[in-house]
Amino acid sequence: MIYQSKLAPKCDFLQEKNMEFLLSLLNSENENVTGLGASIILHSCESTAEQKALCHAGVVKKLISLLEGSLSQRDNSLESLATVMKNNVEAVSEFVGSESGRALSSVIGLTKDRYPRTRLLASMCLIVIRNTSACYLQDIGIKTKLVHLLLELHDDPGQVGDEAPFAFSSLISEKPDLQKLAFEANAIDKLYNHLQKSQLCPKRFQGILLALADLCSKLESCRSRFLSLQALNLVSDALTHDSSDVRTAACMCLRCVSRSIKNLCAGNFLNEMIVPPLVRLLDDPSTSVQVAAISVLGNIAVDFTMRRSLFVQCGGVKQLVQLSKSMDSTVRLNALWALRNLMFLADNVCKEGIFMEFTASSLASVICDPEPFVQEQALALIRNLVDGCIKSVELVFTEDGMILDAVRRQLQNASTDEIWIQGMYVLSNVASGTEFHKEAVMHQLIPQEDNGTQSFILKFLQSHESQLRTAAVWAIVNLTFPSSPGSFSRLVKLHSAGIVSQIKSMVNDPCPDVKLRVRTALGQFTTFGDCST
Amino acid sequence: MPVRVAESSAPSQLSGSNCGQTSPPACSLLSVGQAFSGTQNVSSLQKDEAWRVNVRIQGCDLEHGYLCGTMEALNVPMADTPVVTFWEGEIVDTKNYTFFTGKWEATPEDDIRHWTKFPSFSALQSHVEVDGGKSLDLSNYQYIFMRWKEQYFVNVGTDCGLTIAGFYYVCFSCSDGSINGFYYDPNSSPFQKLELKSTNEGRQGFSFSSYELR
Repeated sequence: MIYQSKLAPKCDFLQEKNMEFLLSLLNSENENVTGLGASIILHSCESTAEQKALCHAGVVKKLISLLEGSLSQRDNSLESLATVMKNNVEAVSEFVGSESGRALSSVIGLTKDRYPRTRLLASMCLIVIRNTSACYLQDIGIKTKLVHLLLELHDDPGQVGDEAPFAFSSLISEKPDLQKLAFEANAIDKLYNHLQKSQLCPKRFQGILLALADLCSKLESCRSRFLSLQALNLVSDALTHDSSDVRTAACMCLRCVSRSIKNLCAGNFLNEMIVPPLVRLLDDPSTSVQVAAISVLGNIAVDFTMRRSLFVQCGGVKQLVQLSKSMDSTVRLNALWALRNLMFLADNVCKEGIFMEFTASSLASVICDPEPFVQEQALALIRNLVDGCIKSVELVFTEDGMILDAVRRQLQNASTDEIWIQGMYVLSNVASGTEFHKEAVMHQLIPQEDNGTQSFILKFLQSHESQLRTAAVWAIVNLTFPSSPGSFSRLVKLHSAGIVSQIKSMVNDPCPDVKLRVRTALGQFTTFGDCST
Repeated sequence: MPVRVAESSAPSQLSGSNCGQTSPPACSLLSVGQAFSGTQNVSSLQKDEAWRVNVRIQGCDLEHGYLCGTMEALNVPMADTPVVTFWEGEIVDTKNYTFFTGKWEATPEDDIRHWTKFPSFSALQSHVEVDGGKSLDLSNYQYIFMRWKEQYFVNVGTDCGLTIAGFYYVCFSCSDGSINGFYYDPNSSPFQKLELKSTNEGRQGFSFSSYELR
């Protein structure tokens, strides 16, 4: 019993005497003693090194032999095998190859056992095998059987029913083929029916929400079914549940459902039922709830019906801006990502609202955040800020253009393609503005003093990353846009900096998009004649 | 864009899309947030008529040959406001989708009849007639062929007297971002032409935004 408590001390299998002790327990004739051995494995085996040590000591073989034992030995063996094989290709291979596949057949057989707990543990063992080595259990028959079995186990009123949704999630997570099978087995409706029951215990509630999240993570057909059942109401109610695990799971479910662009375009998420409770969760004492809530807000911010004012009205923007300055880099990243999405195709009022809340100096400092992935989101946010209405470009010129200076510093000093791509699109978007905007970009691209420093755009044009080359060529296209009066003088400067000859050398770029943009640029250059003469 | 109902009919036929190895070029002018404007000719025997149309790309998933967006018809005679519809597109990448529609009441003959309206299709026609173009590699082709199917009205009800039953055969030019299309609905006037150009929205150049769903 002691090892059923999480507080029980761990057994270090890497010490020889401990391993000998464990083997002596598993070799015992007494099923209570072998049960204790299995409990110790479940409780203590956490690292790959420990899994390997157990395999090398012959534990897998011993556990297989216990599959033939009593009910409790079988259950203990199934659970321990799953623990030893989880993400351990070597152990899975040993198990599957054992006794010419008889061990595997035996576990498959146990999925039909009369005891629900044995059926659950057998299916969990098979799921571990499938998730660890995708080459096994590819047969459609076994996949379908597992889907139906786990859905049926949800009906169990006890612990099996509480654990079934978690097993179901691990079966379908990240696997569209299994999600499709589950959809065809009416999984959305079945889970929704369970969700409707009152007095669900928090664990079961959390499990069902996570299972729905996994089901809706990739397939539009699942999301459509989910929404047609009005399941959204039940999930949004769960946002205020007492248990933080349930609140987090409700957010994860909403996040997956809100990946539907079709429903985002219909404005089905940005409403009073969902946004205010989510914004309140931004203040949640649990960081995992906060991050999960930001993730949903980030998705539903990409609402195309222009109802984004609801965000502002319930304090969402203010909160997200605060969170983008959090000490926790995951919170900062997610908050900036949500604001970036909120900024996507936003009208000028919304953009100015976010900008005023943020301030130019704070934006400049998040661009230079210590974490590269935060820098990338900050630049993507600025990129969206300077897209659309030309008035919005003016915002990056406030406070002596400190935002543009920060962008240039990142383009010069950062070291990842993703940051450079977003930064280059900021400059390219600004360069699609007025003469003043274009000249400001020139100022960032070409150093004023000729101190021999090469412009960073030359490096980007020569990059192996085609998206970076594309962004860089678009900036040149915008700077030399034919109808702009200053384009010729900019072309002359670009020529002197070696950028024009670089563009000319890219006329047969291997990336079709880059090649076409280069041709657009070259076409524009010819309208001014040959500036090199 | 919604159209009014007209006389005509065509049989339906099923065919499948298939598997291949190619994918279309990733074209920045066809990325999310990009806007296009132009007209759709809705002339009938009774009168010449064209509606102004704005299109915005809202989602793009090249791996699955998927594109979606909104279409706004500006001077629809029977509507008080511009009519906005949401459409989903199938990109003919010969991997997810071929030139044969296989649904929406379009036979392979209807498909060929519409695709051949695009000059850029002529180089592909002989291959397409054999198997819908499964063997073609379109990854370096300067044109992207698509079908756009309106799914719902965004800002008006279904009782607005307009129909979105048909779909568009679309040809996008990667080089200048222009879009040509033909609306097909057995119950509407044939070959209603859609002509759109990439818009700069008042800018002296091209601007690109982006979002990411998680």
